[in-house]
Order: sequence, then C-alpha cells, then structure tokens
Amino acid sequence: MISSIVQLTKTWRGRFILAIVASQLAIPLHYYVRHRDPHDERFAWRMFSPMRMSKCQATWQRDDQPLNLGGEFHEAWLELVERGRFTVIEAMGAELCKRYPGARIRVSLDCTYLDAPAEHYGGYDLCQVPEL
Amino acid sequence: MAKRSPRGKRPPATSPSPPSAPTTPPASQKPATSPKMTPAPTVAPAPSPKFWFGFEVSWAKLAIGRVVLFGLLAADALLAIRHAPRYGAGGFNVAQLAGLDGLGPTHASYAITQLGLAYLFVLAACGIATRYVVPIAAAGYAWLYFGSQLDSYQHHYLVVMLLVIGSAIPWQRPAGATARTPVRSWALRLFLVQLAILYLWAAISKMTPAWLDGRTLAMQIVTAPDRMNLRGAIDATIGMATLSKLVLVTELGLAATLCWKRAWPIVAPVGVLFHLGIVLSKFDIGLFAWLMIGIYGFVVPDRIWIALAEWPPIRVLGRLGRVITGAGWIVAGVLVLGALGLAMLVRLPYATGMATLIVGVSIGAAYSAQRFAATPQARVAKIGAAALLATGLWGVVDRGSDVATDYYRFWGGSSRRLGDLASAERAYRELVAIAPDEPVGHFQLGRLLLDKDPVAGLAHLRTAQHLEPSRARAYLAEARYLAKQGTAAAKAQALDKAREGTFAEPSSSEARALVDQLTKGTLATPAQDDP
Repeated sequence: MISSIVQLTKTWRGRFILAIVASQLAIPLHYYVRHRDPHDERFAWRMFSPMRMSKCQATWQRDDQPLNLGGEFHEAWLELVERGRFTVIEAMGAELCKRYPGARIRVSLDCTYLDAPAEHYGGYDLCQVPEL
Repeated sequence: MAKRSPRGKRPPATSPSPPSAPTTPPASQKPATSPKMTPAPTVAPAPSPKFWFGFEVSWAKLAIGRVVLFGLLAADALLAIRHAPRYGAGGFNVAQLAGLDGLGPTHASYAITQLGLAYLFVLAACGIATRYVVPIAAAGYAWLYFGSQLDSYQHHYLVVMLLVIGSAIPWQRPAGATARTPVRSWALRLFLVQLAILYLWAAISKMTPAWLDGRTLAMQIVTAPDRMNLRGAIDATIGMATLSKLVLVTELGLAATLCWKRAWPIVAPVGVLFHLGIVLSKFDIGLFAWLMIGIYGFVVPDRIWIALAEWPPIRVLGRLGRVITGAGWIVAGVLVLGALGLAMLVRLPYATGMATLIVGVSIGAAYSAQRFAATPQARVAKIGAAALLATGLWGVVDRGSDVATDYYRFWGGSSRRLGDLASAERAYRELVAIAPDEPVGHFQLGRLLLDKDPVAGLAHLRTAQHLEPSRARAYLAEARYLAKQGTAAAKAQALDKAREGTFAEPSSSEARALVDQLTKGTLATPAQDDP
C-alpha cells in the first residue's frame, strides 16, 4: 500500500488520484470531528440522514418587532433557514443589518431532531454578534 | 495493490492518455489476446500501481456509458432551468464556499449556463472534442454549484467531482478501435472509487438509532395520492426497520465491491435495483437516481455491452450515423440550419441566442481545426448532427415538461413577492406569450395590470376565468377591483362577480367570505398570494 502511494506521487496522474481520494476521505470526516453547524451536511455525503429530517423554526425581529422575511429574501433561502443552515441565517442577518442601519436584528432558532433533544440557537442581536 | 501480478492477457488497444511513468513489462506478461477483445494496434504495458493504471474496459462499454451519462446530464441541466429565477433574486446570495458570494450566478446567467451545459453534454455524448468539452462543462457546472447554496442537491456536488475526474477519461474512439477493443483509463477507475467513497460515507451517516429503527426512512417514504403505495407495501412486508438496515448493508456492500471487477456481475444488479428503489420512492432529487443507474453501466460486465454493440440493428445505426457525419460542409450546413430552426421553436429562455452562439463557435472551431490542423472533414458534419441533436433535446425537454412555464411562473412569483413589479410583469407577459392556454399567467398578469391598465388587467382576468372555470381566484380579483371603485354600480357588479366565484368553486371559503363582506359592506382588502 505504502509503495503504491509512493509510486503515485511520482506522476501528475498519481498526484491527481491521491488528491481526489484524500480530499474525499478528509472533507466528510470534517463533519464528524469538527463542525460548528450540525445541520450543515454539505460535502459529507450524508444523503437522507436523520439530521436531514430536523426541523427548525426561526423567529426574526427588527427592533423587537416581528419581521416578515417573505418580502426580503427569496423563499428558497427561507427553506434553508428551516433546515437550520447557520451560514445562511448569519448571512441573512448581516444583509438585514445592512438594509436597516442602526436596527437590532434578532433571530431565535428552535430546532427539533429525530435522534436528539430540541435545541435553541441565537436569541440575540446579529448586528452585534454576527454568529449563531 | 502494487504486488498484484499483471494479468497480461488483455493488452490495451490504445491508451489515449498513458501514464508517464516509465515501465518495464514484467517477464510473466504474455502478449496474448483475449478471446473477448480484439488485439491491440499498440501495446503498452501498464505501469504500477496496476489497480489504477492497468484498469481497462471495452470500447463498447466506454462509448455506451458516455452516451448514457452525458445524455442524462444534458436532460438534467435543462430541467434545472426552472430554478433559475431564484438565483440573484433580491440581490442576496450565499456561496457554498466563503468569499465567493459575489461570484454567484444571476437568474439569466444560470439559465444561459444550463442551456450551454446541455449543449456541451450532447457534444460529449457524441464524442466530439471531449478533451475540451468535458473540462469546460466541469468548470461551468462547478461555478453553478459552488456559486450558491441555493443548489442544495448533494448529487450536483457529485456531478462536479465526476466531471472533474471525467475530464481525464479518454471518451473519444481510439484509432481503429472496435467494440471489443480494451481501453485503459486510470480516471475511470477513480470515477468508480469516488462512488465507492460516497457509499461508504452515506452508510456511516446511517449508523444511528434513528436510522436503524426505521424512523428516518418512515418520514421520507410517505404515501401520496399520485404515488404507488410503496409505504404500505413495505409496512406489510419487511417493515421500515428491516429495510433501513438493508439500505445500510447495501451501501456498505457497494462501497466494498464497486471497484472489484470480479464482483461486478453481482454489484451491477444490486446497485441498479437499489437506485430503482429510490426512483420508486420518488424522493425529490431530480434525475439523481437515474444518473446513478446510468453510471452502473460502467459496472455491467463488458461482454453485455460488446454483444449490444455488435447487435445487427445497432451496427446498422452506427453505419448510418457514419454516413451522415462523414458528409461535408453542405450536409453540415443543412444540419446546422435545422438545429437553429429547432432552437427557434424552443420556449426555454435564451434558446435561440444560445444556439446561434454555440453553433457559430463550433463551426468556427471545426473550420479552424480543418484549416490549420488537417482535421478530417467528417468532423464538420458531426458537429452539425450534434447541434441538431442538442436543440432537438432542448425541444423534447421543453415540450415534454413544465420547465419553460415553471421558469416564467417562478420568476414572476418571486419578483412579485420581492416587490419588483416591473420584472414580474415581464415574466408574466412571457408566460402568457408561450402558454396562452395556461390560466396562471393571465390571472397574475391581470392582477398586476389592474392599477396601471385596468382594461388590459380585466381582460386577462376574464381569460383566466374562462380557462379555469372551477377556480374562484380570478373572479375574486375582479370583484375586489370593482369594489375598490366605490360607486354603487361597481359595488353591485363586485357582489355579482364574487357570487360567480362561489359558483365556480363552492369550497372556497375566501369566496364566501368576500360575498359576505360585500353584502354587509365590511370589505377589507386582503393580501392574496397565489403562486
């Protein structure tokens, strides 16, 4: 095995093979050993996983008043919010902070899981603390 | 792997991209020919590790796999156009990779790129300039996928990987190759290894109680009126828990055996049945399951594809194809004109412009190749035939699906919700133009026009009433408009219209409420949001 790997490093084709195989083993591993967002299963080949069945409800507020996002973002982004995708929620928060300068944009995310207790995320002003 | 003794019994006919490592043929290697494959015009011993660099398939398998794989990708690209309106909507985007948000596709660039990809995939399916076509398609596909998290299909990420790897597969017919000629490709081996890794991780993700006890699968396989009762059949037989365990075992088994050639007679039917099961479950994953079934073509034993390729009707078709594509500029011109004519009938956005551009570039490339690189004239007619096939596929997908109408409907809907009424009007006008018999376009356009051009708006609403006589919404929109006019006569007409709405759709609570409000004079204008 080792000698095969050494031989592979000697040609560009071999190095290409090693890069693809190594990346495809390492990138999904990242989800299991060090993830910030449990809902973000991209690049981890977790099709139809139990996590995919989780449901999240986001409550958005602008200066403590309910904020309807239907007129702010395409509904496809709101679907990703329901899947609890942190990067999307944070980017939406940043966008709202930009659209409403000086406002307090608060988001609370309540998620339920098939195989874990319910979790609560956020609940604070994303313009002050931009990460969930 | 490196210690495996070379088989030596099937010298590769051609090695279009031979490894550059110097090799010495082992003493045990015999330059004999396989009874199933033709002898090689040139024989190059496979360098080590042979697991990668000695991997061979018959030319018949590679050619048929190419047609199936790229044909499916072409259809999938066209079907994805319906999602174009979400890209760039509201001026917001989050890319798959940090820092690329600003480089994501817009709704126009997404649609144009998918049309272009469909065209390139047809060229690849026909084996035309695959050394250039496949990498260009890989780059375009990767841009669309990595450019926005709106694409949440994991199989699109898989396609990016397969196209990157596939850029190194020798898809074009090697000189003198027949159906039986073995073709050596380390990249095709990597293609299968990529799938094996995918199965491994997919299985690992299912090693949790929530999967093993059947709860996860039970939530995903639901019974719906338009689906066969797969759920009922499973519950009445093996049950969800057993099926879930079977799925896990199957994925692990496929991961372990996909790259083991001797296991292919078992792996191929198991894999195909596994993905057929996914097709039957109707998960919302586009053509992914079909794509996987197509990819299993590379695992089906070579002798089956060789037999198919040598089947007399297929050989006749092949000869016919060679006659057509072997013709010169005149036939090429006729084919190209036919392709452009077909493109003009396609209702997909930007179809005519894209067809003209791509055909122009293709002809230019073919002329340059002929003029400066002494490429045989046959290529020119082949490009014309591929152009005709590509625009023909555009037409088949357009007329055989709702892609074009969905595109304009989604565009109009998202623009309306995001407050861009001018863009919404443009989308609905296009929808009415391409589908004058669809009520949704008339209804939405009518509602939009009521304020600025009431005559046209009412005309569209009445067309919608005529086209969907059992729905109340167009009657109610007209009733609300009339009630807003304030005169007694208009209010009476509004009440009549609202009543017509209740006759059209007796179950509509909204229609009954409107009649009630108009009768009592307590109408408040609600925000109606039909898709």
